[in-house]
Amino acid sequence: MPALNGQLVVFGFASFLALAFALLMVVQKTPVRSVLSLVVTFFGLSVLAILLAAPFIAALQIFVYAGAILVLFLFVIMLLNLKEEAADKDDRPVQRTLGLLVALALGGLLAGATLRAPVPPRGAPTGTPIPLPDEIPALGRLLFSDYLLAFEVLSLLLLVAAVGALLLSKRRFE
Amino acid sequence: MTGALPGVAPMAVPPGAFLVVGTLLFAIGLAGALLKRNALLIFLSIELMMNAVNLLFLTYARMRGDLAGQMIVFFVIAVAAAEAAVGLAIFVALFRAHRTVDVDKIALLKW
Repeated sequence: MPALNGQLVVFGFASFLALAFALLMVVQKTPVRSVLSLVVTFFGLSVLAILLAAPFIAALQIFVYAGAILVLFLFVIMLLNLKEEAADKDDRPVQRTLGLLVALALGGLLAGATLRAPVPPRGAPTGTPIPLPDEIPALGRLLFSDYLLAFEVLSLLLLVAAVGALLLSKRRFE
Repeated sequence: MTGALPGVAPMAVPPGAFLVVGTLLFAIGLAGALLKRNALLIFLSIELMMNAVNLLFLTYARMRGDLAGQMIVFFVIAVAAAEAAVGLAIFVALFRAHRTVDVDKIALLKW
């Protein structure tokens, strides 16, 4: 089945890209480089979303995450003129090791748990089967019927966040 | 369980692989949040963790053939956008007051 193998290749490439650049993001010392590595990770993630039959979410990931949020990060980093993180004098070696250990342990635990977790049976009240060809219309219908209230609250939240961000960055805290 | 739903093509990639990638990304993000000293980069690591969770949501949505998972991802992305705007504004204000965003030096509430 050549088509299926093609999907496997794309999956391997995208997930490698996402994981490698996520690691780079953590290892990187320069903030700007960290943000740019994360852009590549998000592109990989959006390819994975397409593989999971979620083209709308994939597009959203590029537009909102890579396009808006990370650009906002870049703006702020350049605005604050952040230099490299204080070079590795490593004033807290214990915390560093502990943090790494905790991350590794939790990662292993989560990987084991998610792999073993049973998928809950389908057929919950909101369960709408995904008709692949018209998945985005179905999403839209769902958004403006079952999730209408959440959607409206969300728009309000975005408005409040925008006003709050303006206020916070305007006022002086001296 | 994974692809037997009517109208949904079987998954060519085993869903477990997506789950592993998602959890690994989450662990990397957690390592970043714990190891970084720059508040902005800690924030960035948290964004990565949210995206890892989004991947898990999408995987489960695909496994169950249920659009609710994708809806949740939609809301997570939108809330993350709001959160990023407010969080970055806080960091700008913090930087104005302290001339640094190093979390080791910002210890106003510590003692």
